[in-house]
Amino acid sequence: MLLFKTFFRRTHVKAAMLALGLPFLVSRTKLPQSASPQPPVRVPSYVAWTQETIDAANSGEAIRGLVIARRCAHCHGQEGFSSDPLVPNLAGMDKLAIWKELNDFRDGKRNSAIMGPLAAELTVQDYSDLAAYYAILPIYPDPADPRSFPQLPSPLTHTAVAARLISGGDGARGIPPCQACHGPIGRKMGAPSLIVQNSDYIRLQLEEFASGNRSNDINMPMRVIASLLNDDERQSLASYYGSGAASTPVGASAPAK
Amino acid sequence: MRSGKLQFVMGLLAFLIAWLWIRFPYEMFGAVKKFVAASGQVDPLTLHLRGEFVESNLGTAIEPDGSVTVRLIAQQFNFVPQCVLVPVGRPIRFRITSADLVHRFSIAVTNDALEVVPGHISESQIQFDKPGEYGATCHEFCGAGHYDMRSRVLVVARDKFPKSTPEERLTCASL
Repeated sequence: MLLFKTFFRRTHVKAAMLALGLPFLVSRTKLPQSASPQPPVRVPSYVAWTQETIDAANSGEAIRGLVIARRCAHCHGQEGFSSDPLVPNLAGMDKLAIWKELNDFRDGKRNSAIMGPLAAELTVQDYSDLAAYYAILPIYPDPADPRSFPQLPSPLTHTAVAARLISGGDGARGIPPCQACHGPIGRKMGAPSLIVQNSDYIRLQLEEFASGNRSNDINMPMRVIASLLNDDERQSLASYYGSGAASTPVGASAPAK
Repeated sequence: MRSGKLQFVMGLLAFLIAWLWIRFPYEMFGAVKKFVAASGQVDPLTLHLRGEFVESNLGTAIEPDGSVTVRLIAQQFNFVPQCVLVPVGRPIRFRITSADLVHRFSIAVTNDALEVVPGHISESQIQFDKPGEYGATCHEFCGAGHYDMRSRVLVVARDKFPKSTPEERLTCASL
């Protein structure tokens, strides 16, 4: 008995027992689970960024993508700069973004009468190859090439509004800065890079997100943010990105030549 | 032995005083956190595919027994839903998880700051005794957009709170 007591007086033994016992005790304290019925599940996109998915999306070969991209060039341009401002530029686009959007087009999670059937013709490996190809295209268009990018620079008032939102967001309304996820400051998994994007396309997507017509953003960040923006801000952002000004971070000086 | 007892009593007193100092001001503001627990685990990468945090299940749920549960996702750089609608004077259970990294959900003027850890469901029970709009911010640095990661908790009187079935999920948009 005495031996037992001296054994338990030792502080380090007590501490060890506490450390062993506490997680067990904590894990046992549980609130009663709710029995409320769930509404029917709505899935925004079947893509989930698990390691296998990321590996698959990154496994493409650009040279194969170049061949497949011939069928995309009519709308998206040979160099990834499209001739129609409503069609997105794909030059320098994020790999994961291209891969995810093609999957969503095929699954019908993003509605497009043109892209849906086109994506259904390709395999998942083709998506990876296309993503690898477009990701390495340079983001500076050939000045001699009369494509639609860059569009006319936006009016100064628009530029001021857009630069503020892109660099700092609007904390009072809970709008994060665009460049924290869409580049060039930060990148979020699956977020498209918006460095050289067409203005009409940006405005249309913001409106579609706000109205819920486009709903393939995982955990709905864009549906939340786009619905917080007003019409003027959506137009400002669109014309700012369309003017090519976002190729340098807002607030930063131009890169040294 | 004597000094041990004295230390124990002094420690207890210090604890009580600290507890009063922390507790009292928040009771004045009319919202008190009741209980916090980590309850359950989820896969942060597949929140949108299955389980409790699919997007159709986010928001305020009125359970069949009349209690209120709010489900939220914290992610870079917003809370979903961005505006939470809850009734006044009823215990509300917040269940939050993170889709990417550690955030903290902190509601203004309450002492409620929930550590939101990817893979875990954080839960707290809180009751708002005054209607109004309470700001809620992320209280753990989470990246370039952290300072704009804010949301709102809209506390409304019971007669203004919309009637709903247990299968409906409410946000400020349903007002």
